[in-house]
Amino acid sequence: MNLERALQTFIEESRELLSAMEDALLALESAPGDGDAINAVFRAMHTIKGSAGLFGLDAIVEFTHVAESVMDRVRSDEIAVDESLIALMLRCRDHLVTLIDDLASGQQGEHAAVGAALVQALQALLGGGSNATVAVATENAAPQPEAGANATTGEGVGNDAWHISVRFAGNLLRNGYDPLSFVRYLATLSEILHVEPVTDALPPAQEMDPEECYLGFEIRLAAGPAQADIEAAFEFVQDDCSLLILPPHAPLTDYALLIATRPEADEQLGALLVSCGALTEAEVAQVLSAADATPELVVAATPAPAVAPAAAPAARQGREATTVKRSSSAIRVDASKLDQLIDLVGELVIAGASAEVMARRSRDRNLMEANSSVSQLVDAIRDSALRLRMVEIGETFNRFRRVVRDVSQELGKEIELTITGAETELDKSVVERIGDPLMHLVRNAMDHGIETAEVRVQQGKPAAGSLKLHAYHDSGSIVIEISDDGRGLDKERILAKAQERGLVAAGQTLSDQEIYGLIFQPGFSTAEQVTNLSGRGVGMDVVRRNIDALRGAIELDSRPGVGTTVSIRLPLTLAIIEGFLVGVGEAAYIIPLDSVVECIELDHGAIGQQNYLNLRGRVLPFLRLRELFHSRGQPARRQNVVVVRYAGQSAGLVVDRLMGEFQTVIKPLGRMFRHLRGFAGSTILGSGEVALILDVQDLIRTATERHCHAAEIAAECVETV
Amino acid sequence: MSKTIMIVDDSASLRQVVSIALTGAGYDVVEAFDGRDALTKLDGRKIHLVISDVNMPRLDGIGFVQEMKTVPAYKFTPVIMLTTESGDAKKRQGQEAGAKAWVVKPFQPQQMLNAVAKLVLP
Repeated sequence: MNLERALQTFIEESRELLSAMEDALLALESAPGDGDAINAVFRAMHTIKGSAGLFGLDAIVEFTHVAESVMDRVRSDEIAVDESLIALMLRCRDHLVTLIDDLASGQQGEHAAVGAALVQALQALLGGGSNATVAVATENAAPQPEAGANATTGEGVGNDAWHISVRFAGNLLRNGYDPLSFVRYLATLSEILHVEPVTDALPPAQEMDPEECYLGFEIRLAAGPAQADIEAAFEFVQDDCSLLILPPHAPLTDYALLIATRPEADEQLGALLVSCGALTEAEVAQVLSAADATPELVVAATPAPAVAPAAAPAARQGREATTVKRSSSAIRVDASKLDQLIDLVGELVIAGASAEVMARRSRDRNLMEANSSVSQLVDAIRDSALRLRMVEIGETFNRFRRVVRDVSQELGKEIELTITGAETELDKSVVERIGDPLMHLVRNAMDHGIETAEVRVQQGKPAAGSLKLHAYHDSGSIVIEISDDGRGLDKERILAKAQERGLVAAGQTLSDQEIYGLIFQPGFSTAEQVTNLSGRGVGMDVVRRNIDALRGAIELDSRPGVGTTVSIRLPLTLAIIEGFLVGVGEAAYIIPLDSVVECIELDHGAIGQQNYLNLRGRVLPFLRLRELFHSRGQPARRQNVVVVRYAGQSAGLVVDRLMGEFQTVIKPLGRMFRHLRGFAGSTILGSGEVALILDVQDLIRTATERHCHAAEIAAECVETV
Repeated sequence: MSKTIMIVDDSASLRQVVSIALTGAGYDVVEAFDGRDALTKLDGRKIHLVISDVNMPRLDGIGFVQEMKTVPAYKFTPVIMLTTESGDAKKRQGQEAGAKAWVVKPFQPQQMLNAVAKLVLP
């Protein structure tokens, strides 16, 4: 049996269960009576135990068994949910995560001591731990005397085979059992020498209930199997049958007992036993003559009373009401298959664009019509394909409940985490890569932002610090905010540090935003004391690099004494975007449509050589892409300015031609172009040409810098004059 | 014609292993991830045996068996329930619902095959 793939499923499933268990435990912290959460913890242990047994993972089985027992007591209110229990179960969860990780990596870590300590703690809760160990094999084969070994106190019969006498209860068929299946199973244990059906109980046809079982068997089974094995054949119907098993060479008195206890007429049954080969006629005669003196019953097996009808419907309703809320009718799909689908959809979009170019060129109205409905469908397919990859950010957020809990204990601070917008969706590949930067920011906020309880109380704040994770959609981006109500950033200290590190020239005046931006510079860390948590050399610059790699932006806002908010702005997807196609010289470029605000005509006369314009009373810095990209050829007679906006900042991009909206499949630039600034990727146009996708965030920064630089020079000129 | 067995359990890996074992022994297997799912798969096809976990989301094993027994086509379908040692009260409930056969979790694949063979041979 090749269980390799099943084992992978087990690993994945266990991880999911353990993460659900963690969520449930943290939920219990605020609502200790939450039945659903208790059940979720129980189920995680229960399911992992059940599956681990199949793979012979005894260590996991034994561990989860104890934890499951504890949770079972919790379910029945015998053990109370308190902080120590939650802490213990969390540690158990962590231990299981290590065990599963070991299993996944094929390594054997040394965790026995941790496990033993936890088991001990769990058993202390169980009070003694009488049922604390479980063997994987549960069929406790009690030592049974070998066939024939117990033969004969007194005269044994000549029969050298097992004799099995069985009468089934009336409701056997209704319970779904087929009498024949047991006989067939016996045949797998040993050779059936003879079967004699007993049909005496069968009533006349008009009285017969076709759902009722009236059958019995007298079976002679060749010696070999142990009594326990034969009994086990009937284990599922032990309540629904009367079973007598006589070993080979059983004493004649046992057969006498058999004949006496069975309802059939003694003579008739005797005849059956003879034709079965169990007894000789002489033995039967001997039994029947002695029948007057009925011996005491030794082997008792009475038919079970009729089974009560199914439980009352009321009970069923109650159960349905408590069933778990979320439907789990999800399909597990390999992520690479999804990626492949998205790739194909990307190709489809490109091919569609090329077909559209052809259709337009042909000027064939019908073709254009048909093509337009195809492209509508392609759009719809693209949207649903992209939606397949969308996951809620809540799961990522929830991981921080644990982090906040553990870290706040470690720091001796009281911190409350509030999560909002957990249902906000974003691309799975983004979710996967946002975890680390978020972790860093959350830890930073707890470590440096939020003050200790004494300081907070002194300042008139509530003793418990507040940390908020908030997510929402904003024009094609998702924004994640991490805010705390701590001491805020110390501008003076940041500036001093930046000057000390040579990041800023002395005497340079910077806006608040610019000062805060300094902490994202490489080689900047304000933590004077290096704590366990942050300040490990991994600074905010790494966070920014991670966010940049996701085509995102990070921004920081802080008020001394009130708190700090870090906003991360990320694209919803990394695969396909709506683009705005523009032409500069002979080349075409794509501007992400989400960032385009408006297009205006460039008024050469009014502008001259300056690089800003007056947009309805506001200064708008702009970049001449023609100059920036050193495009050849003559500029268009009428140039346009595309006003783009990103994270609150605007700039203009001067282009030659506006070519309209375009479905853009983002292809990453090769490694050679990795350091190129101003481009976010490339795409293929319907004509087969390559167009570069502009990195709006970077261009806005460039435009603003140039503008400021020019303004400074102007200011200096004024001073010198 | 091989016999069809339905395995109802919320653990995908358990279903997978049991399914591999049963298929290897010559049975056809239908999988369901909880009671509700199992009921939708009782669509008139012949099922010779149902193996069901007790503790499942949405509709648990006992509720499922009760429902199943109300469908005429599956009234006589035998059921093996999967349980843990701690489930005595559940066991009684299950027996009332018509599930007489129980196999204790955790079990080895071979144990499951033995239990199945007692009720349905391939």
